Amino acid sequence: MSDEIVLQTRALTKVYRDFWGRQKVRALKALDLEVYRGEVFGLLGPNGSGKTTTIKLLLGLLFPTEGEALVFGKPASDVGKNERLGYLPEESYLYRFLTAEETLDFYGRLFDMSPTVRNERVDSLIKLVGLERARKRQLQEYSKGMTRRIGLAQALINDPELILLDEPTSGLDPIGTREMKDMILRLKDEGKTIVMCSHLLADVQDVCDRIAILHQGELKELGRVDELLTVADVTQIRARNLTTDCQNEIRDVIARHHGELLAMDNPTTTLEELFLTIVRDSEARPGRRAGVR
Amino acid sequence: MVLEQQLLPYFQWLLYGGNGELGALPKFALVFLGLVMAALVVGYAIAAARHGLLRGGDVTYHTIVDGLREIVDTSPRRIWALARLAIKESLRRRVGVALGVYFLILLFANWCLSTNHQDPARLYLSFVLTATTYLVIGVAVLLSAFSLPGDFKTKTIYTVVTKPVRAGEIILGRIIGFAIVMTVLLALMSVASYVFVVRSLNHSHDVEVDSLEKIVDASGNVTGRSGRTTASAGHFHEFRLDAEGFATTSTVNGHTHEVEAVGDNSFRISGPNGFIRARVPQYGKLRFIDRSGAAKDRGISVGNEWTYRSFIDGNTPATAIWTFDDVGPHVREDYLPLALIVRVFRTHKGVVGRPIQGELRVRNPDTGATSDPFPFDAMDQQVDEYNINRELTTNNGQPIDLYDDLVTKDGRLEVLVKCLERGQYFGFAQADCYIRMPDGSPAASYAKVCVSIWVQAVIVIAVGVTISTVVSGPVALLFAAGFIILGLWRQDFVDIATGKSYGGGPAESVYRILTQANVMVRLEEGVLTTLLVGFDRFFAKPIMWAVAQFLPDFSAFSTVGYAAEGYNVPWDRVFQDVTTCLAYVVGLALIGYFLLRTREVAR
Repeated sequence: MSDEIVLQTRALTKVYRDFWGRQKVRALKALDLEVYRGEVFGLLGPNGSGKTTTIKLLLGLLFPTEGEALVFGKPASDVGKNERLGYLPEESYLYRFLTAEETLDFYGRLFDMSPTVRNERVDSLIKLVGLERARKRQLQEYSKGMTRRIGLAQALINDPELILLDEPTSGLDPIGTREMKDMILRLKDEGKTIVMCSHLLADVQDVCDRIAILHQGELKELGRVDELLTVADVTQIRARNLTTDCQNEIRDVIARHHGELLAMDNPTTTLEELFLTIVRDSEARPGRRAGVR
Repeated sequence: MVLEQQLLPYFQWLLYGGNGELGALPKFALVFLGLVMAALVVGYAIAAARHGLLRGGDVTYHTIVDGLREIVDTSPRRIWALARLAIKESLRRRVGVALGVYFLILLFANWCLSTNHQDPARLYLSFVLTATTYLVIGVAVLLSAFSLPGDFKTKTIYTVVTKPVRAGEIILGRIIGFAIVMTVLLALMSVASYVFVVRSLNHSHDVEVDSLEKIVDASGNVTGRSGRTTASAGHFHEFRLDAEGFATTSTVNGHTHEVEAVGDNSFRISGPNGFIRARVPQYGKLRFIDRSGAAKDRGISVGNEWTYRSFIDGNTPATAIWTFDDVGPHVREDYLPLALIVRVFRTHKGVVGRPIQGELRVRNPDTGATSDPFPFDAMDQQVDEYNINRELTTNNGQPIDLYDDLVTKDGRLEVLVKCLERGQYFGFAQADCYIRMPDGSPAASYAKVCVSIWVQAVIVIAVGVTISTVVSGPVALLFAAGFIILGLWRQDFVDIATGKSYGGGPAESVYRILTQANVMVRLEEGVLTTLLVGFDRFFAKPIMWAVAQFLPDFSAFSTVGYAAEGYNVPWDRVFQDVTTCLAYVVGLALIGYFLLRTREVAR
């Protein structure tokens, strides 16, 4: 991550009005944000908190009521900025009558790519998102997960520097979710800047360097994930193979130093980990049934 | 053929104009300037209301400057990508069904059309071309009006506008894509309909052997045989075989056949000739002499509301005189081919079944030398063709040469037509008499008619795509349909807007409808009626006038009449139509660009 600012909002405000110009809702209130090159930035918040509005303002799909949004130092309404960014919408809004190949070819043409470069990109992206066997199928025959994957491929068609992901794991199964998160981390390793918005906290926690928490259109918290999640007055000790005596001794030590023992028990894995372990095991040993170890 | 306005040569039409109209290019520039000014004022007013006076000015300025820059950045590859998408979308939306509907229409068309008609080619051609026009324009409206709104509804537009795509490319891509679809559709329909017409009109006859009679000259020698054909397609032809056994039959229902004797009582008859023609007329200038012998610009009125033709009285000095330029042996070495269309107006029946007689003479406009009159029988609104031989005689029997004595050195010649019967009238317009230049190719002329249909479809597509940038599909459909309807009656619209036709404006019309007061009823004076009339005069009619300035005259685009009546569509006409179409596409694409650019895509 460098200090170079890729994306910036200054007092960005959005008010939705009705046909007669009367204010309906104030979706975003004076948002100030800066996103730096090479980081994964998460926009968090409950439904209606202004996450998607922020993304749409950054993309120029909406015009700010007040303030401004700058992408690569240019106003969000400047079409030129799109040369360097990729966008995965909340749902993959793609032409369902096109095949995967045609879809990527179409978006490649929109970047004015030469046929050679376009064909190379199409092939590599289809491989990357694992749709080789479905490349000739129309998108209307795709499952939700496949549609998300081709959506991501179209967002990467121009090898963008900045990628905006709106609810990237929405509608994906745990495997798809994990693959998406792995993909985000891989893109980060390649030096891309990623801005994602989500209300799935675990996803954000897993991949984001910094987050902004929005609520009712206002910025409530902004900072590094590890700093924000650190509970300063609680100490966590994790150890393996402790005897009962040893555990009792630790309890005594804590009591002697006037500490408060909050918990000492065996940790549980996450449901995601359990699910992935089972699925991988099933793939490795097909035919094995539940209860048979 | 009715030609209410003289067709100007292309470059004159483009640069200087005529017929009381400005040149097309200056007019385009004026309308464009007017629109730009109006857009600036409206744009600034909206921006100022949203952002304040200064910031509003800044936003307006940036919109224009960025817009101009983006026009320069337009990429043909992106436009083509979007055009391909529009083509695929059209195919997905089953545009081919229109073709199926068209073939179905052709399949059953013969139930309603008859070859036993005075001019069956006109009947068939006008039917198929009109059907093609309506179907193609209908499909064009549907495709263009629902395309972009569909993208907005499914939000697929999000993934397009977040690529480096300029709004103008989206508009142009759509227009070009749908235009390509329409071109293919129209081409298939045109080929199918041409084959349909040719095959439907095709027929043959046999010779009625019993009708054959020998033709004997004064010295008793047999010079040929006369007879008639068997009836087919509801008619028969008469013919006179020459000594070599060849004949061209009489013209019935607009066609002839070639007859060839191949034995004593054996004949070969060709298929129909002259059904589908592409006459190339060379028009002259028309003036009149009235019954008292005075020169006039127009003849008299017989009370027709349509003032296209004016009339001359029979058995008086009243004469219709056409002056033709560029006449000479280059037209035809041995004769001058003329065509004359007469509108006969009878004040009494005359002799039942007998046509009204007239006479035609040719005259040298400088020397006044005039040929002997050629009498003719006038059939109402029929194209009669005459060949004026070179060897002529004057009134007093002196032999004269058509081109040497009756044509001036600079190639002028006058044709004088009179009605010979008292109490009867002949009506003429300038286009009713012309020199027949060699016919053009009927297929080529037919193709040119299809170009005029294509032009209409492309304008409709441009309108549909442009308006659909700001409104939903159904509203865009209504707007485009309204645009076509207003365009079809553009002249009436302009006449009402300019006060040439009486009928009040929209407010007065609504008031009259509600109070059941027709236009002949004088409105009661009062505050309400004064307000309504004032609203029409100072607000509604100026807006109507402004709208009329960029409303296309769809009725004038149609060249179906040319093909149906057997005339070649002039290239000047084709170039004018295509240029007009291009102007609409450019203008509408620009409007569409700013409408789309200033729209919040995600609203």
